[in-house]
Amino acid sequence: MSAHEDQADVERVLAGDTSAFEGIVRRWQGPLINLAYRFCWDRGRAEEMAQEAFLRAYRGLGKWRKEAAFSTWLFALAANLYRSELRRIPATVSLEEVAEPSDSRAADGGIEKVDRDRAVRRAVLALPPKYRETLILFYFHDMDVSAAAKSLGLPEGTVKARLYRGREILRSKLPPLLSAPRLREAL
Amino acid sequence: MKPDDLDRVLSQKEEILPSSGFAAAVMDAVRLEASAPPPIPFPWKRAVPGIAAACLAVVLVFVEAIRHQGPQQLPPAWLPVLELVIRVVTSPAVGWLTLTQLLAFASVTLSMRLSSGRG
Repeated sequence: MSAHEDQADVERVLAGDTSAFEGIVRRWQGPLINLAYRFCWDRGRAEEMAQEAFLRAYRGLGKWRKEAAFSTWLFALAANLYRSELRRIPATVSLEEVAEPSDSRAADGGIEKVDRDRAVRRAVLALPPKYRETLILFYFHDMDVSAAAKSLGLPEGTVKARLYRGREILRSKLPPLLSAPRLREAL
Repeated sequence: MKPDDLDRVLSQKEEILPSSGFAAAVMDAVRLEASAPPPIPFPWKRAVPGIAAACLAVVLVFVEAIRHQGPQQLPPAWLPVLELVIRVVTSPAVGWLTLTQLLAFASVTLSMRLSSGRG
C-alpha cells in the first residue's frame, strides 16, 4: 500500500503539486529520524539531518528510477547523507546522556544490563566509520544484509565482511570493559 | 559477551517520535525550495570555446613576445623553461594530444548524457 502511495505522491510532486510531498514526509519521518538518531544519538541533530534528507529527496525525486522501491532509494539517500554528516562532524553526545525512556530494567535491579547496553552502543560509535555505518544499517534493517547493502550502495559480500570485522572488533573490546569492577565510572 | 547478546543489544528498537512540528517544518523548507528560482546553470557550451581560445591566445602571445624580444633579454633562469615551452608548443605531438583530449571530453560528455537519459 505504502509503495503505491509513494509512487502516486512522487508523480504528483513531479507534475508540480508540491503539497503531495507531505504524504511522503508523514509516512517516512519516523524511520528517517530514527535512522539518523542511530548515527548521532542526538534528537535535535537527528531531526536536522532527517529534514536535510527530505529536502535532498525532494530535489532528486526525478532521479528515482522506480526499479527499486521508493523506500530503498530514500534510505540510500538518507544513509549517504548521514554518513557524510557524521564523518564531517562526529557524534559528540555521550551515551550516558542518551535517554532510555522505555527501559525499566534499572528499577528492577537490572543496572548491569543497562550499562552493558550503553557500553555496546558506545563501542559501536567508536568503531571506524565503515564498520560503524554497516552495523548501524544492518541492525536498523532488522539484520537484513541485502537491505543494508542497498542502503550503503555496496555489494552484499562487502557488507558481510564489514559486519564480521566490526563484530570481531566489538567482541575484542567489550569483554574487558564489561568485566571492570566499576563499570559506570569506566564508561 | 555472546554473539546473540550483541545482536540483542544492537537490534533493540529504541524508537523516538518526530517532534510535532517536524513535518510542517520540512514542508515549509520544501515550499521555500519550490518557490525559489532554479539556479542558473553555468553556460559551459558558450564558455568552453572562449576558455580554449583565451588559453591559446595567452600561449601565442607569450611565444610571439619571446620571439620578438629575443631570449637573450630574459633572465638566465627562464631560458630552460622557455626552451621547453617552445619545444612543446611547436611539437607535432601537441596536435595529437589536443585531439585525444577532445575525444576523451566528447566520450565523457556522451556517456554522461546517455546515463542520465537525456541522450
